[in-house]
Amino acid sequence: MSLVKRLGLPGTLCLCVVVVFALAAMLAPFVAPYAAQGIGTPNISAKFQPPSAAYWLGTDHLGRDMLSRVIYGARVSMTTGVLIVAVSLLIGLPVGLLAGYFGGWADEGFMRITDIFLAFPALLLAVLMAAALGAGMLNCIISVAVTWWPWYARLARAEVLVLRNQPYVEAARLMGVSPPRILLRHILPAALRPLGVQAALDVGPALLTASALSFLGLGVLPPTADWGQMVDAGRPFFPARWWYAVSPGVAIFLLALAFSVLGDALRATGRRDA
Amino acid sequence: MKRRDFLKSVGLAGLGTMTAARWSMAVAEDGAKIFTMAHPAGFPDLSPATSFSNDGAIMANVYESLTRYIPGQGDQPAKVEPLLAEKWDVSPDGLTWTFHLRQGVKFHDGGDLTADAVKQSIEWTVKTAGGASFIWSPVSAIAAPDAATVVFTLSSPQPLDMIAASGFAAWIVSPTVLDKDNAWFNAGNGSGTGPYKMERYEPGQRCILTKNDGYWGKAPFFDKAVFAVVEDPVLLQSMIEGGDADWTYSLPYDNLEGLKAKPELTVVANASFQTLFGMYNVKKAPLDNLKVRQALSLAFPYDDVISSGTAGLGSRAKGVIPAGIWGHDEAAPIPKTDLVAAKALLAEAGVTGADLTMTFATGDNVESVAGELWKANLATLGINLTLQPMAWEAQWQLAKSDPAAAQDIFVMYWWPTYVTPYDYLFNLFHSEAAPNYNLGYYSNPDFDKQIDDAAALSGTDRTKAEAMFIEAQRKVITDAAAVFMLDLPNVHVIRSDLKGYVDNPAYGHVVFVSELSK
Repeated sequence: MSLVKRLGLPGTLCLCVVVVFALAAMLAPFVAPYAAQGIGTPNISAKFQPPSAAYWLGTDHLGRDMLSRVIYGARVSMTTGVLIVAVSLLIGLPVGLLAGYFGGWADEGFMRITDIFLAFPALLLAVLMAAALGAGMLNCIISVAVTWWPWYARLARAEVLVLRNQPYVEAARLMGVSPPRILLRHILPAALRPLGVQAALDVGPALLTASALSFLGLGVLPPTADWGQMVDAGRPFFPARWWYAVSPGVAIFLLALAFSVLGDALRATGRRDA
Repeated sequence: MKRRDFLKSVGLAGLGTMTAARWSMAVAEDGAKIFTMAHPAGFPDLSPATSFSNDGAIMANVYESLTRYIPGQGDQPAKVEPLLAEKWDVSPDGLTWTFHLRQGVKFHDGGDLTADAVKQSIEWTVKTAGGASFIWSPVSAIAAPDAATVVFTLSSPQPLDMIAASGFAAWIVSPTVLDKDNAWFNAGNGSGTGPYKMERYEPGQRCILTKNDGYWGKAPFFDKAVFAVVEDPVLLQSMIEGGDADWTYSLPYDNLEGLKAKPELTVVANASFQTLFGMYNVKKAPLDNLKVRQALSLAFPYDDVISSGTAGLGSRAKGVIPAGIWGHDEAAPIPKTDLVAAKALLAEAGVTGADLTMTFATGDNVESVAGELWKANLATLGINLTLQPMAWEAQWQLAKSDPAAAQDIFVMYWWPTYVTPYDYLFNLFHSEAAPNYNLGYYSNPDFDKQIDDAAALSGTDRTKAEAMFIEAQRKVITDAAAVFMLDLPNVHVIRSDLKGYVDNPAYGHVVFVSELSK
């Protein structure tokens, strides 16, 4: 079965976009036209150049090539996006599995904790956390992950509630298989697929939230390139030097959109297979 | 910039401009001449006793002080001009100051300006003990021997004519309102002698002043002065471009070229009293070593920071005392950017690499550009500079804790409460038992004594005092106690049809509206 058939045309296109961004991020030192400027070396003799053959996306207030900055920014954005989801899964999945399988007090306890987190508007909680922890990439990831994991806990729990009454799980239990083994070998693999789709779907919003924190000055610190922070830095120059704020803005838009559509496509294949 | 307000202001931007324009038109319909100032920050406190912020912009039009400071320009030395006091004299020991008041001056409430009113007003400010009331601390007694004479007795010799010219806490207020509290003043009330009277104040929105018909000086041209609070720089710019405002500031430096090209706008840039510097932590290795500090100062890209951070409008800082202030040292021995010499000094000091942290104010573009460019230069010397933006309170608390655990370089701006070099040198470099503003923890008894002596002389022998201040500041420069980054320009964007505008940096971002016309 071809990829296009499995994911549909939009899904395939978006997969390509994600792959292109991922490759650019990984190979940044080789694909960026001015690698040093991508890292942050100033080049002030060329400040605020409009897009040209030498600088495809123009230059910023310190004369750095925007294309190189955007490519290096992809490293930060993709890593934060993926890590936020990974950390959230790492916390949310075990919590959801335990709560769902054992029920009773464990369930009540864990779910009330998730309720507390879900009661806050997600971005507000992330901003509060980031403001308390201080700026920096790691703190940014922690701040967003803290608001993110309860969703996975909820989702995992819902999956387990359905799965634990399935005949094959029932059978395993009757055969005397230990609960950890049932959870890990019989329930987890079945629960992973919907969670995986959800996770792919969430990388987009996660990197969007991380960019929002950077935009507010709570994310990665300059001179490290980061899209949200670049949009903020370019905002005061917007009407006249549009390329400064627009280039990273378009990058955020493209990547967030690509992850969302890709996630949708994955979910659709899941349904078709089922 | 208040980022949290960004979404709000963008959302309301279109609406805001529309309503602002409609509102101006409504006021203009009866033919009144209006001056509109678009101010990038709010006015937190309109009490003349405690106001110690942007509110000076309003205070200076409603109230007046005894004297006014006029900064030096070119060959013209700085001077103190008469305002409510017509002339004054000082006893040879510098301890007794006699001010002779202008006659025929009336408060907005109709009362006469008398010596007793001046005495009561200043005593009220001192008693309220808020804001900048500390400027009066050298004054031990005020007497009013007759209606036109006020005599101040000081406990130590100080330049009282300059203190009386302060942009904060020196306002003379009518005796009839001295029993009122801050809430009353902040409801848009007040009574001074200035060319404008309070009409209305809507916190966070605007303050409106009306012409004082009984003003003693030249009758103001504008019937009303409107101080609109507009926090978003994008909206500020569109207001001044569209003619909804006559005066504004705090637009990004890099946008000024584009504004200059418009004939209907004039960009007024001149020196301010605000200087930017980074204080080296002299209590912590490796910056406890003079050679390392000198190397760091040699590695600072002075010209590049001025050209990139302030679009070339700032100027080289000659120590901490900016041009226009007496005590400014045009020939100060400041270093030039020289990476080779810096490398040699580091080698002499035996320092091959270092990790340093520089703290600065979150969201300040000039400071962050300075940090980024400096970091790039230091990287070539094997020094890694971490740029740590912090909210002011946090930055200050960290610096006031144990110097051994604090930042390596503390970056901030300084400007004086009233115009004296002592304000800069004492606050920033005088030895302190517990750090307050001397956040590089510099301590040099010779320097302390010299500036204290100079301050004592500054009321009676200003020439000698000035020479002593200059000599003292050179000690700080040779000791490389700080990197003197730049003197910030005062940049105001005004409509070209506005006549008579002169910026006075002694009163930061204040417009004396009565001097303007169209």
